[in-house]
Amino acid sequence: MKIGVFVCYCGENIGRTVDCAAVAKELSAYPGVAHAEAYKYMCSDPGQNLIKQAIKEKNLDAVVVGSCSPHMHEKTFRKACASAGVNPYMVEIANLREHCSWIHDDIPSATAKAIDLVRIAVEKVKYNEPLQTIQVPVTKRALVIGGGIAGIQSALDIANAGFPVVLVEKEPSIGGHMSQLSETFPTLDCSQCILTPRMVEVYQHSNITLLTYSEVEKVEGFIGNFKVTVRKKARSVKDEVCTGCGLCVQNCPIKKKAQSEFDESLTTRPAIYVPFPQAVPNIPVIDRSVCTYYKTGKCQMCKKVCGREAIDFEQQDTFLTFDIGAIIAATGYKLYKIDKKPEGHIYKGYGEYGYGELKDVIDGLQFERIASASGPTSGEILRPSDKKEPKKVVFVQCVGSRDESKGFSYCSKICCMYTAKHAMLYKHKVHDGEAYVFYMDIRSNGKGYDEFVRRAIEEDGVKYIRGRVSKIYEENGKYIVKGEDTIAGVRMEIDADMVVLATAMIPQPENSKVAQLLGIPYDKHGFMQEVHPKLRPVETSTGGIFLAGACHSPRDIPESVAMASAAAAKAMVLFGSDILEREPVVAKVEASTCAGCFYCQKVCAYSAIERKEIRDRQGNLIKVVAYVNAGLCQGCGTCNATCPSKSVELIGFRDEQIFAEIQSLSGF
Amino acid sequence: MPDLIEIAKGLLESKEVSFIIGYTKDRFGRVKPYIAKSVEDANNLMFDHHSIHNLAVYLTRLKIPENGRVGIVAKSCDIKAIIALIQENQIKREQVYIIGMNCSGVVTHSTDEWKKENIQIKCKYCADKAPMLYDAVAGTAEPFEQPDDTQEVLMQKLETMSSAERWDFWAKEFEKCIKCYACRQVCPMCYCEQCLAEKNQPQWITTSPTPAGNFSWNIIKAFHMAGRCVGCHECERACPMGIPLTLLTRKMGMVAGKEFNYRHGMAIDQPTLVGSYNFNDNEDFIK
Amino acid sequence: MAEEKFEPKVVAFVCNWCTYTGADLAGTSRLKQEPNARLIRVPCTGRIDPVFVIKAFESGADGVLISGCHPGDCHYNTGNFHARRRWTFFKELLNFVGIDSTRLHFSWVSASEGKKWVDVVNGVIDTVREQGPFLKYKEIKEHDFQEIEN
Repeated sequence: MKIGVFVCYCGENIGRTVDCAAVAKELSAYPGVAHAEAYKYMCSDPGQNLIKQAIKEKNLDAVVVGSCSPHMHEKTFRKACASAGVNPYMVEIANLREHCSWIHDDIPSATAKAIDLVRIAVEKVKYNEPLQTIQVPVTKRALVIGGGIAGIQSALDIANAGFPVVLVEKEPSIGGHMSQLSETFPTLDCSQCILTPRMVEVYQHSNITLLTYSEVEKVEGFIGNFKVTVRKKARSVKDEVCTGCGLCVQNCPIKKKAQSEFDESLTTRPAIYVPFPQAVPNIPVIDRSVCTYYKTGKCQMCKKVCGREAIDFEQQDTFLTFDIGAIIAATGYKLYKIDKKPEGHIYKGYGEYGYGELKDVIDGLQFERIASASGPTSGEILRPSDKKEPKKVVFVQCVGSRDESKGFSYCSKICCMYTAKHAMLYKHKVHDGEAYVFYMDIRSNGKGYDEFVRRAIEEDGVKYIRGRVSKIYEENGKYIVKGEDTIAGVRMEIDADMVVLATAMIPQPENSKVAQLLGIPYDKHGFMQEVHPKLRPVETSTGGIFLAGACHSPRDIPESVAMASAAAAKAMVLFGSDILEREPVVAKVEASTCAGCFYCQKVCAYSAIERKEIRDRQGNLIKVVAYVNAGLCQGCGTCNATCPSKSVELIGFRDEQIFAEIQSLSGF
Repeated sequence: MPDLIEIAKGLLESKEVSFIIGYTKDRFGRVKPYIAKSVEDANNLMFDHHSIHNLAVYLTRLKIPENGRVGIVAKSCDIKAIIALIQENQIKREQVYIIGMNCSGVVTHSTDEWKKENIQIKCKYCADKAPMLYDAVAGTAEPFEQPDDTQEVLMQKLETMSSAERWDFWAKEFEKCIKCYACRQVCPMCYCEQCLAEKNQPQWITTSPTPAGNFSWNIIKAFHMAGRCVGCHECERACPMGIPLTLLTRKMGMVAGKEFNYRHGMAIDQPTLVGSYNFNDNEDFIK
Repeated sequence: MAEEKFEPKVVAFVCNWCTYTGADLAGTSRLKQEPNARLIRVPCTGRIDPVFVIKAFESGADGVLISGCHPGDCHYNTGNFHARRRWTFFKELLNFVGIDSTRLHFSWVSASEGKKWVDVVNGVIDTVREQGPFLKYKEIKEHDFQEIEN
């Protein structure tokens, strides 16, 4: 075998700490290496041409590139080699940048390590074999998890392109947090007014199967070929007969026991309810935890008034399965809520702000409800405790955000803008009122965003104070907000009538569970992780699964919508072809030595191991052996390590290859 | 209690089984494995304290017809191996007719006298001396004096040693290994058609009996027994060099018991330890 | 000239999705590490066979590190759970024959834990350095070469 070794300087990134010329020189004398050279930028066109030229001139069979992480440019180099006639799987990458030059300072030891790393790759490539990609069919149907604005956008985009979509929402209605908002920055257009038509469009779209009050239960399979099980939770209302007349809701005698999720606990709702008047679908749900019938077996008022006989107390959860080609996770966010006694909570919280204890210390979403025309006060700014108009309101930013000691290290991104909006809305409605904003920095980078904040300050007279709030407490019917104005260098004390905390955005608590179901990574906060922060921001490390909206990180509506369309575009790219090419890294069984213990089958997470009978010519059963369904195999290799006789091997990471890698270390 | 020979004759006469794997005495009076293929052969079957061999090993070594059935004479420790083989898809329950033997302990070597010092340590812990899975039962169990667990003493001594001392202990033991693979051949759970030790692309285990090769062979063999060994102690009995191999398998058994509360070969429908997992498995050793 | 300091050889078997990527992140973040570790990338910790560890020691490693995704984070859903069971037995077995936890290390390092990777890898190297070269294994290996030569 003739192996070519190409060492990249990566400008100075590798070259600064690794003597690349020395690495190439050392390797040129290594057994099996027919060609070795170093170049400034291997990934550039001239760099790739260098490789192609060497392949042709020296008749190379395999290539090792010492460069950046294989996660970065493995594909680039495989493609370059393929175009010059070397099978792309005869290419190995030695990671000289992330795993060597960037983490070491000492040139001699970094160079020695680089030589080892290239040697390891050379030894491995000696046992590589030319492989062909696996071709699998694509199911052209998408699953969108989450029916907030991101999920709605993704679903509509894909459906409008002509592909079927299954949209799953865990709440009784789609709409998400956007449906709760009063007006949106920076245009101050009414949130419901722009969202509701979208919701209706989803409901009426012939390509969209809408499943509300439902959750994804199980995800099997792989890109282009997922099998998804959805749990449709029992609504206790037959959705196929209900007309949404609302008589049941009006007649439910339980009025005060359950707090309205939609109104952020500022009001109560009946046991049978529709979350909000514009809900889609407009079909009620019985909250079994408060309904009298489920407690005592009596009442049945809703059933009595329903002319359509839609109430079904015995309804059970049902399970639906779908063949899915691509999945978009759009599970959204919630606000960080922490009251005085965060018992058993891992976060320290802001007990000193009195949230959850002082009635008129509320969070941003609660203020949205108060300011909303469809809210509990019909849009009049009245404080929750006594329904009086607050004359002095303090807004506190960064509650939980950018504060690792009590909350999270990250910036929640939307609070600067919505606080400006809140203060502005307040001033528009309470002309003689005073609005104060405590801020750390004002982050208003978006189209028309900074102008919006300036408008709040300059035109509406909102008073911005740069500094943190240390304490909020009640005194003589006032909320005393103690803080500091760090620009003036003075202590501040404001006697407010109401306080609005801009609490941090955190992922939905189920986010990590959904991520686990999907087999995609998530960060320490629970936000789902993209595969590349810059170049593949909506893709995940699992093929065919994409991200949209705030499940990935804090983001506002336009960003969520843009991301949702991007995710939809990614799904449609997949649907653009009938056949999908997959990496040939799959397991393979050597039937002649397989003893049929089927431990491989037990450890396989994809049910990719099947049983195959081996019979002689007369049809007598000789033995039953394991067989890998290459369409299902994802290439983890757990079967390979489990097999006692090594009768199953993972192509691309076979025992011989790893053995050679380990053995090459005896030299270092 | 029906007699072993009577049961065997009945099975062979009715052709319910193709043959019966059992024990017989050779002309020198030594007990050895025996395959009875006819009613006449059945007269040669016997069982006593010298029936030490775990005959379950033959179930994977002999060809069992696809829809046929074979008989096997088994004491309860051997039955565990049969159960384990069913758990591991090597035989089907309906393919084997188990003649369970009421057992009163077996001696270590086939020529040993039946007395306390010679009885195998495993018999001390045989909580189920009466067979637990069978199609017929034969024989009578006699009370016997329990042997001392000399191995446990050694085990404890090893546990208190430093790592370096343990290494030296085992280096000396493994040095004796001649790579005859008797331990593997006699093990009912070593049913692979091609042993890892004989795979040469790549050759993970050096075939020649060198110290490093002996080390890797014995370690990998013991690891392959993790969560799978049924404790028949045949490997150690078969070892011509007297390596205390069951110390290793016993250690693996202790881990299975302590960490997972698991014993292999107890029930045919029990999920195997290898191949299953629990989200909350102990991971104290992982940083 | 000063006495030559012993520099251990550490072989790390890491999964592609979590630890390898975490180590990439450490690199991208320019977090300095000791240069003694050589990473061997496999798709999943489930792919790591105990024979790899034996072979690594045979090839002169003074210490071995195995690292993958945290429970629940496995890219292949359950590979690390099966691996964890495997290691529970294997580390006890090796300890029983004299290779203890100063030579064989395990960790979970996620794709976002660049800092943890640095701490783990430096910690392993320091521990192994403190133990000195794995002479005992080298002795039995040396013996092999002699026998072959004779």
